[in-house]
Parts: sequence; C-alpha cells; structure tokens
Amino acid sequence: MGCAAVVKESGRSPKAAVSVARISGFVKKYRQNVAVRNLDLEIHAGEIYGLIGPDGAGKSSLIKAMAGVLSFDQGTVNLFGTNIDSEKSAEIVKPRIGFMPQGLGLNLYPNLSVEENINFFASLRLVPADELARRKQKLLSVTRLDRFKDRPMKNLSGGMKQKLGLVCTLIHEPELIILDEPTTGVDPVSRRDFWSILTDLLREQGITALISTAYMDEATRFHRMSLMFEGEVMAKGEPDDILNLVPGTVVSLHADPQARAVSRLKEQFLQVESLGSTLRVFVENKLPNAAVQAVVAALDGIGIKDIQPAAPELEDVFVALLHQRHLTDDAPDCPQDSLSGPAALQPVTLKPESLNPDALESDIAIKAEALTKNFGDFCAVDKISFCVRQGEIFGLLGANGAGKTTAIKILNGILTPTSGYGQVAGVDMRCAGKDIKNRIGYMSQLFSLYQDLTVVENIRLYSGIYGLSRRETRERIAWVIHMAGLSGYEKKLAGRLPMGVGQRLALGCALVHRPRILFLDEPTSGVDPVGRRRFWDILFKLSREDGVTIMLTTHYMSESEHCDRLALMYAGRIVADASPLEMKEALKNDAGHLLSVLTGQPLVALKQLEKSGFDGVALFSKRIHLLSKDPGAAEKTIRSVLGRGRIDVVDIAERPLSMEDVFVYRVLELEKGEKGLEA
Amino acid sequence: MKRMMNMNRFINIRRIWAVASKEWLEIVRDRLFFALSFIVPVVLMLLFGFGLSFDVENLPFAIIDRDNSALSRDYAFQYINSRYFDFKGYAFDQRDLDPLLTDNKLRMFIVIPEHFQKQLLNGRPVTVQTHIDGTYPFRANTAKGYVSAINHSFSMSLMTGHFSKRYGLRPDNVQTILQPVKLGVRYLYNQSLNSIWSVAPKLIMAILLISPPFLTALGVVREKESGSIYNIYASTVSRLEFLIGKLSPYVLISSINAVLLFVFARFLYGAPFKGDLLFFALATVLYVICTTGIGLVVSVFAKTQVAAMIVSAIVTVVPAALYSGVIIPIPSLSEYAQVAAHLLPAMYYTQIVLGSFLKGVGLAALWPDVLILGIYAVILFLAGYLLFTKRPRA
Amino acid sequence: MNHSIPSVDHRVSVWCRKLYVLTIKEFLQLFRDIILMVFIVYAFTLDIYLAGSGVSLQLNQASTVVIDNDHSAASRELIHRFRPPYFHLDKEIASGRKGIAQLDKGDEMMVLDIPPRFQEKLLNGEQTTVQMQVDTTNTVLGLLATSYGENIVGRFGLEAGLSRAGLSSDVLNTAPNIVDAHRIWFNPNQQDSWFMSVTEMLTIISLFAILLPAAAMAREKEKGTVEQLLVSPLTPFQIMFPKVLAMTLVILAGTAVSLFGVLELIFHVPVQGSLALFFAVTTLYIFTSAGIGLFIATIARNLAQVGMLTILVFAPMIFLSGAWTPPEAMPVWMRFLMGLSPLHYFTDACLGILLKGAGMSIIWDSVAGIMVVGGAAFCLGLWRFTRQFD
Repeated sequence: MGCAAVVKESGRSPKAAVSVARISGFVKKYRQNVAVRNLDLEIHAGEIYGLIGPDGAGKSSLIKAMAGVLSFDQGTVNLFGTNIDSEKSAEIVKPRIGFMPQGLGLNLYPNLSVEENINFFASLRLVPADELARRKQKLLSVTRLDRFKDRPMKNLSGGMKQKLGLVCTLIHEPELIILDEPTTGVDPVSRRDFWSILTDLLREQGITALISTAYMDEATRFHRMSLMFEGEVMAKGEPDDILNLVPGTVVSLHADPQARAVSRLKEQFLQVESLGSTLRVFVENKLPNAAVQAVVAALDGIGIKDIQPAAPELEDVFVALLHQRHLTDDAPDCPQDSLSGPAALQPVTLKPESLNPDALESDIAIKAEALTKNFGDFCAVDKISFCVRQGEIFGLLGANGAGKTTAIKILNGILTPTSGYGQVAGVDMRCAGKDIKNRIGYMSQLFSLYQDLTVVENIRLYSGIYGLSRRETRERIAWVIHMAGLSGYEKKLAGRLPMGVGQRLALGCALVHRPRILFLDEPTSGVDPVGRRRFWDILFKLSREDGVTIMLTTHYMSESEHCDRLALMYAGRIVADASPLEMKEALKNDAGHLLSVLTGQPLVALKQLEKSGFDGVALFSKRIHLLSKDPGAAEKTIRSVLGRGRIDVVDIAERPLSMEDVFVYRVLELEKGEKGLEA
Repeated sequence: MKRMMNMNRFINIRRIWAVASKEWLEIVRDRLFFALSFIVPVVLMLLFGFGLSFDVENLPFAIIDRDNSALSRDYAFQYINSRYFDFKGYAFDQRDLDPLLTDNKLRMFIVIPEHFQKQLLNGRPVTVQTHIDGTYPFRANTAKGYVSAINHSFSMSLMTGHFSKRYGLRPDNVQTILQPVKLGVRYLYNQSLNSIWSVAPKLIMAILLISPPFLTALGVVREKESGSIYNIYASTVSRLEFLIGKLSPYVLISSINAVLLFVFARFLYGAPFKGDLLFFALATVLYVICTTGIGLVVSVFAKTQVAAMIVSAIVTVVPAALYSGVIIPIPSLSEYAQVAAHLLPAMYYTQIVLGSFLKGVGLAALWPDVLILGIYAVILFLAGYLLFTKRPRA
Repeated sequence: MNHSIPSVDHRVSVWCRKLYVLTIKEFLQLFRDIILMVFIVYAFTLDIYLAGSGVSLQLNQASTVVIDNDHSAASRELIHRFRPPYFHLDKEIASGRKGIAQLDKGDEMMVLDIPPRFQEKLLNGEQTTVQMQVDTTNTVLGLLATSYGENIVGRFGLEAGLSRAGLSSDVLNTAPNIVDAHRIWFNPNQQDSWFMSVTEMLTIISLFAILLPAAAMAREKEKGTVEQLLVSPLTPFQIMFPKVLAMTLVILAGTAVSLFGVLELIFHVPVQGSLALFFAVTTLYIFTSAGIGLFIATIARNLAQVGMLTILVFAPMIFLSGAWTPPEAMPVWMRFLMGLSPLHYFTDACLGILLKGAGMSIIWDSVAGIMVVGGAAFCLGLWRFTRQFD
C-alpha cells in the first residue's frame, strides 16, 4: 500500500493536472434571493479541493449543482467534459460521482443497520456481489465500523455516522466525491480520524474530492480551496497563498484592566478578541517585532504581561478580507453603557478577588455535586461535580453525546437528575420557584427562537413571559435591538435571519429579563467568524461589566479559549476542570511541546513518524504535528528518522498548543485506557 | 421475460429491488407507522361496519290514546308489535311528549283521537296524527313510510269488513275490488335487505381510497424531508425505477389491507361474494395502484409531512364519503356532484365491488370500469413521473 | 437579595400579561402557517358546503326502466304515476333479461314489469300483479323505492277497483279508514342539507379542537422552543392555557363563519334555539376536547405523528357520535362506547339547540356529559402534559 501511494503521489504534478470539473459564471437564485453569484472554479484530478465559508455562503448550492441534484440559473458546470445543463446530462456523469449531502447522517436510513445501509447504496449503483463483499470488508475495517455491522444507524455516534456516510459514498468507487460539510457537528477526535481515513482512501484510489466546511481550521487539509462568503468567492488558491493575502502578525498578551485595554486596542486595530484573560490582536502588514511594538504603544499606561507574536490563522485573514471589502455588517458595535441597563438588579462588579479559589461560598453561582442522569440503561451524565463562581465564564467542552447538553438541562431545571445535586444561586433546581427562574436565562441549541415570529415579536414575547410591564417591554426591546445590532431587522421573521443575527437575537431574548446567570448550549455553531467574535464580545462585557455568570457548552475548540474555566467532558464524565492555560500547561507536562514538521513527502513521512513512536502524530495539509517532551532531542530523532527514509525536512518549529490538542490528547488517552480495560 | 431483458437499459430490476426492499425495511422498522398502516384501515372497517347503520329499527315512540277503546288499542298494537318501533309507553298530554321529542328520548309519537272507534264503526274516516322527529331526514322519511304502511293495512282490513257487510260480499271479493293490482317486489342482489351486506363492500372501496394515498404521500415526503432523497437524486437510479421501487411496498401494504378488508366483509359481516375472485383481486390491485398514484401526485407537491397529510385528506376523504356511491348512488347526486364523481376513480371501483360481491357479475359487465381505472392509473403515474425531477430548483 | 412580596394586584396583572402575550403569539404563529390556515378556511366553508349540498339520502329520481307487456291506457296510466321527484322513467325495454343486464351494470335502479292483459284483467275484476325488481345494493334506497312503489300501485288499484264498482273515490270519505296526517318536526320539508351541514360543522369543530392544540404543542417540541418556556417562570398550566385559549377562539370564529355564512345564508338552516347557548356549549366542548389534543402531543414526537394519532382518535369519535347512526340503531356494546365519546354529547346538544330549539332544561344532561367526559380528557391531558417534562 505504501509503495503504490508513493508512485501515485510522485507521479502527480499539479502543473500537468487534468481538469475534472470546470465551473464558470455560476449563478443560483432562490426566488428573489441570490445564493451564489458569478462563481468560477476548477478542480484538478487527484486533488482535495475545499470550499470554506460560514453558513449561507452558498457552498451547498454550488455543491448540489455539481452533484447534478439542483438546477441553476446561469453559467456552466462541466464535469469530466460533460456540460451539466439538464437531468439527462447529469445522469451521464453520476456513475463517476459520489455525493454526500449536508447534515450528519441525514441521508442515511436510521432504522437500517450499518450493513443494510451500505448494501442499499451498493445495489443502487449495481455493484456486483463479490466486489461489494470485498469493498465492504475493506472500508468497514478501515473505518473500524466492522464491529457495528448490525447496529441500526440511529444508534451510532456522530463520528460513526459520518464514517458510515463516507463508506456509502465510496462504495461504488467514484472518481470524484463531493462532500457537503462532512465534519460539522463532529468532535475533534472523530474529525481527525475522519480526515486521516479520507486522505488515505483518496490517495490510495486516486479519487478527486470537493469538500465544504465551515471550520476555518480545516483549511490546511486542502490542496487548494475557495474562501466563500455570501455567495461570492473572497479568495482562492493554495492555503498558504490565501494566508499570504493579508500579511501581518497576531499578538497575544495579558493586560490589566482588560476591558480598558480592549476598548483602547479597538480604536486602532480591526481585530481584537478576548480569549478569557488573553487578548488577541491582529496587526496587519507588520512583522512580528513591529507588531508587538505597535500593540505596546497602543496600550500605553496599561499593565501588559506575556506579550507574544504569532503567525495569523485563516480565520484572521478571512475577517480581514471581509473588513477590506466592507462586508462585515455595519450594525453599531457593542453599546458602551452597561449591558443590563440602568435598572439592572443588583449589578455586581466583579473584583479580582472573586476569582480567587478561596472566595466565599456565597460567591458560587452554579454548583453540581455528583450529578447523574440515566436514560434507561444509558448513563448520559455520570457523577459530575463542579462549581462556577459569579461573573465567571465557564465552558463545558466535549464531543457530541458527551453529556454536555444533558448537564446544562439538569442545571436549568428542564431535566430532573437521577441522583446527585444541582444548585443554582444557592437553590436546588428541582424545587426552584419562580424567583430563581426569573434570574436565569437560557439559550438552547438551534437558538430556540420562534421562527415564524418577527424579531420584535420574539423579544416582546419573552418580555411577556417574564412578566415585564408594557413600559419595561418597550425599553428592553430598544435595548436588545441596540445591543444585538438588530436595527433594520425588526420586522423580519426570525426564521429568515442570517445565522449570526439570529444567534444574537436569541441571546437578546435570553437576556430580556436581566438574568444573573446565563446558560448557553452550543451558542455559536454554524455562525461565521465575524458573527462569532461579536457574540463573544457581548458575552465578555456581560461577564466583566455586569457580573453575569455564564455557563456554556461548545465543541468548537477555538471557542473554548474564551472561557475563564473549562470542564472537559467525555462519555458523561468530567475528565479535566481548569482554565485553558492550566490545561495546556498540564498537557505540556504530560506529553510535551507541539512540533510542526514540514517535509517534501508528508504522507510517507507521516507513516514513518507514526512508526517511530511519537505521540499525537497528525497531518495538517503539508505539515505534520506531533508532541514531544524534549523538543531538542525530538528534532534530532525526526531528522534522523526522515533522513533514513530519504525525505528532506524543510522546517521543524515549535508551535503553541491549542485546546484542540488538549482535547484530542486527553480523549485518546481515555480511549486507550478503556481499550486496555476491555482487553 | 425477454422483453424485460430488452428493457434492462431503462429499467433495472436490481435497482428497483434495492429501492423497494429498503423502503419495506424502513416501514417495518418504524413501528408506529407500520402499525398505523394496518390498524387504521381495520379500525375504520370495524367502526363503519358496526357503527354506520342505515337500518331504521327500534324507533322509540309513544302513543296518546284519547279514545281508549278496544279498536284504538287494537290499532296501537299494530305499532307496538312492529319490529321497527320500540314502544316507550302511553301518554295523556301532548305537552308531556314535545320535550321528549326534542331530547331524543322519542323519535315519534302517535295521537289517536277521541271517538276513534265510534267514527270508524260508523263508517267514517279518522285522521291519526303522527309526529316525527325530522332531524335526521332520511330516518324520518323511512319512519313515515312504515307508518303509512301500517295505516294502509289497517284501513284495508277495516274497509274489507265494512264493504262486505254493506254490500253483502265475501271479504276476499271485496279485497279484489279494493286491491285489483298487487305489486310483486323482487329485491335483487341483497334479498334479505341486510344493510351491512351493501355497506361492507363499499367500505373496502372507501378505505382503499383514503389509506393508500395517505401512506404513500407520507412515505415519499418523509424521504424528502429527511434529505435522504438526495441519495436518489445523486445516484444512477432512473426516475421510473425509483417510482416503481418506492411505491411497490405501499401497493403491497394496501393489497394486504385489501385482503384483510375482504375477510372482514365476507366473514365478519357475512356479505355474500358472488363474483369471480380472481377478477376481483386483479381489479382491486389496479384500484390500489390508482389510489397509490393519487398519493404520489400529492407527494410531488407537498414539502412537509403535515402538508402531505392535509392535502391527502382533502382530496380523498370528502370524495370517499360523498362522491363514491357509498352512501348515495351516483344518479341521486346533484349535477355538479355527479361531475365530481365521474372524475374520481372511486365510483368505478364501487361498481366493481358491488358487482363482485352482490351482483355476481364479472369482466363482461364491468370492463368499462376496469378500463377507466386502468387509464386513471396510467395518467396518475405519468403525472407523477413527469412532475418528479432528480434535479429540482430548490 | 431583598425581594419585597409583590401585591396580589401586581401578581394578577403579571399573570394577565403573560397570558396575553402568549395568546397573541399563538395567533401569530397560526396565521403564518399558510397550509394550516388554508385547511382551516377550507374546512369551515367549502367542506361544509360540499357536505350539505352534495348529499341526499332521499329517493331522488331513481332511474327506472319499464317493460310494458300490455301497452294499454291503464298500463300507461300506471307507468306515468312513477314520476319525479322519486322516480325517473328512463326508457322502455322489451325483455326482462335486458332489464337485469342494466341493473347489473349499475345503470338503472329499478325495473317495472307490467304483465300482458293488464287492462283486461282490471276491467274483468281479476287480480293482477305488477312486478318490480329493485337494486338493493343500497338498502335504504331500495326500501324507499319499494315503499313508494307500493303506495303508487295501491292507490292506482284502489281507484281502478272503485271505478269498476261504479263508485267514485269519494266513497273513501265515507268508508272507515285511517287518514295519514304526518307532522315532521324540526325540519318539515326534510331538507337533508340542514342535517348534513350541521353535522359536518360539528365534525370539523371536533377535528380542530383536537388537532390545533396538539399541533401547536408538537411544533414547540419539534423546534425546541418548549425548553425555553420550561426554563422560564411559567407553570405548565400557563404554557398550555394560552394555546387552548387561542385555538378555542380560532375555532369559534370558524364556527361563526360557517354558521352564519354557510348554514344560514346558503342552506337556510333555521336556528331555533339560543345562539348564546350554542356558542357557550361549543366553547365548553372545544376547551375540554383540547385535553385530548394535549394528550396526543405528549405522545407524539413530531407533527406527522400528531396527524396520524389524531386520525386514530378522531375516526372512532365520529362514528360513536350518533350523528350518522343514532344510539337506538346501534348494538348495545356500541351504545356503551358512545357514552365515552364527547362528540356524542356535543352532537345531541347542538342538534337540539340549532334545529330543535332546545334550551338548557333539555340539553343539561348532554352538557353534563361534555363536562364529565371532556373534563376527564382535559385533566388527563393536563396531567400527562405536566408529567412529561419530568
């Protein structure tokens, strides 16, 4: 297998590439709405082409049109030399294409077993029985689904569904596969697993792939890509080319007082983010040293610690490109006045002491003690304990199905725990009365807005539910519209809002009664980076200026960096509970530093490094990441291992650990432990 | 078989089988859906069969006998002994009975006037007032018919006595004079006038009109709603293969239902089956294909399962009840309703069920109906085929 | 936290405010659900019109073919008495076989067969028999046709017999016989449309009384908004009550439209009783039936399941309502089941009020029935509704 791969890899030269798909002047409209306007694209044989962009960028429309399952308005779509302009012409190329639509497992049949699903897809494509047996056996073993052959698809985990979807798409050995957001809603471990399986299979069979994603950090997985936003391509090319479009440096630092530092920096820089106690500033067009100097100059008179420059990531570039084109929505930035308004119930100003672990018991806003919830035989939440102090942003981080949502639902009183004890504002939620409920706000997954009501009607409804008077309601409507930047959207139906706007409306509705404690369940999934940053700005202000306690769940690793404290959930249990910084430190102590290796033949190098026993070896486009306790010694080992394989090493560098690294490492460790127990 | 082979390029049996068996597994494993697809028709059959009776019997009634004579009691007994009426008692004052009529305690009361016996014995006619609850017009009508019949026969016996005494004739001679023409009635098809015999076969028609479109539309729209329809769009399955494969499980379920309904009609309700079973079975499958086709066309337009349900209900329930001949024969309908009836397949199948069950006729008499059903099925499937697209606009 | 205890006045006003905004929300959501709105409008107007105008259970122009083997004045006289509205003479045919064939095909309903020497026998005072063959695949119409036929033939024979005896038919006025005098109460002209349209309206009211609250609740579950309500300081009753209230008002509005716009305007149904009483009873009924809908909503996971379960519950209710078959025509065990159908009491009460002019003194037992059966359903629904979130 290794040999064949080498031949294919070296035999492929981007210059001489054959074009598999050529799209030009593509336009797709839904009634009046233009989903994609004037798009050009070319995909070469054997490459993995990426479409990156937030929800509503037009990725799905383009992908469906290319798969021949959606008609379009203007332009040409040419696949394998066939012009796709009718159902008939689409039929001609369909045997050579595999398509997996958006939505985790939505195209699979929940009541059919894994094997029945595969058999169905195979017989649709008339795969001969012996071929089917061979391919099925191979794909099932590669994806490690062979143990679950007879399990109904609905009982699979998110990651397994996604892999099954992939198997079903590949069963007829297509030449081009088109995957629409295959990794959305999947935890990082499964995502990494998925990517490595996918890259192996594609390489081995010389399959071309078009893959869309909303995760900016997946960009490195693609050979080439298009960055999309609101129906247009912002940039295209190789990931590195796109990163080079907006040169600059990201400066991270700690500052005190943080809020003042933020407002000061925002006057000068377009991109300022608070990640917990860390501030992150993107300084365009400046080399590292100059960038640090610029930031220091801007923060004159404010205490600065741990200031460090770093290379920008795709998300920074994307946001910068949006700013360049004035595509960020022009709603006013966060209001400067206190978010809860003048009439806030007992505004608490957060003093640094209250983050002190020795703080008084009364400072605790949320407390869980051995909280357990069983659904039948299934234990969704297994004896979790933690406490959240007032004014703190507390994150529950975990994969789909880890029990995050259940935990949050127990704490806000929707579910009753099987055993254990959950306390909010000092009261057991099982017997919480109206007073407590008046003091908590909740934003559930999918934003739980009334889609068929307008923006104002939604706010008015929630005001009424919390018994606000007419006068208060008027005030709060004005406040929410201002805070969430909703002016101009007042009369729009909530269901028709762009994701980011809908999310801020949902937050506004959850805040309409000035809660002291805010529960947010997956508040930012699917929202574009600009929207997400605005959202976090608001949360940050709520926490720092009004002392609102915020507890949220997320599976975005990058987002978890915003939290003051994190609890890592795995299979219903909390496996780590600390601040992001502490977690990274702990990982550094346990597993070491992150090394990034750039070589000429990444795929071969990957195999060799895996064999030589490094921890956390993973491929990110051309770079290989791995963990090592002794970077210096590791570098030598790497060079010698690769040198023996005659692979030239371009660069080895140490990179800061991300929360994703922490998560993946911890979860894999636990899985290993479990397998050990099983064996 | 040979033609099948030639068709292979357009219709591949293996792909049809793949779609059909997948659909079947999905239906069987969705327990609520599976149960309802069999329970609903059976429940409807039981309820209609037992609950929908047009026999007017046991009509609760009372008598006000203002004469209280031997003859008036004799007259009253004509009613009291009738199986059509259920005697609730004598009353004295009409004012006592009015509210009972309003309150559904009585459906009718009879007022026998004073001097009833005296007048009749003196050879004079007497008017007897019958008060009938007209809320249910057809019941009132039937009751009126019963009353007239009883009065007629009582009058005849009175007159026979009267004339034979007066003219010195033998009573049977008098009868010949008074009733020279007799009506010999032959009830065809349902000699015992058992209403369930005529209702049960028509229920098969009505239920097979309502249930298959419902199941089909839900099944197809479910696939659209969940997004798994994209597997079909993106694959090389032809539209025809998909439609055949997708719909055949529903035709199968409805055919099984047809067998169940037949068994109920034949053995639970005892309706006679006089026709050709094979002909009936084939015609029924054709009808089921037709009504499944209605579901297919509905599913092309409906985007959500709820919409599919509502539209199926509108296009099938009212026609099944009104324009199918189940309650009223088509010729008795108003003109526009007749037009509506002719446009729907139900009426033609009604002829087939009644022909097969009660009349004992077959293809020779019913071929036009079968032909029309056939044309129907072709039109519906053609419409479904043309409207269904693997490359939609949205 | 120092919370002053709010005054009772304040609590009441907050309660009303919550009720108000939640009810408005239900209205907005319903009005924006185009498919459901179209269905509601269709059901309360066109559907009731179709039911009222299309159906007649009276013998209406029963198509008749004649085999006249006599071709005499007398035979023609008799044949011509079979005329509209009950009968419709289609054509004359030669043989009985042909007649049966017509019946077999379902083209005709009746064959009238006049024997040879019909007139001669009449004049000679001999008895003669006219044959009538009736298609009884529809027993009701078969029986009606028979009974009308007997009347016509009997009347014809009597007149013929009397005239042969040299008596005029006036002799009947001096002969002892019973003269029929019918008084059909509540619907003197026996308009089928009155009964049909009222019954259909009651059916539609019941359908929506179950379906709308169930759909409103299931929609919240499906979209996840119900969690938002559960986290808020609303009690389960406060969550449920506005839905029932809004849906009741919508159904009452629909009822008013069909009562005044279809029943009175098109079918001229005379409303005999008190409208206030009718609407009061309807309100009570809709309100209590909503319990069944809420019960369904606790079982169903989505709107499609709500639809299926509604059919499963609703179909038995219609047949046990007594609208199609009154209790006396049912087997005893079915009569017992009827007692469990709130629609049965509702039908009794409404037919009573609308067509019979019944007042509370007469329909009190039906109202009590609605309260007991409907109330039980409502409590069950509320109980399940409250329980499901645990």
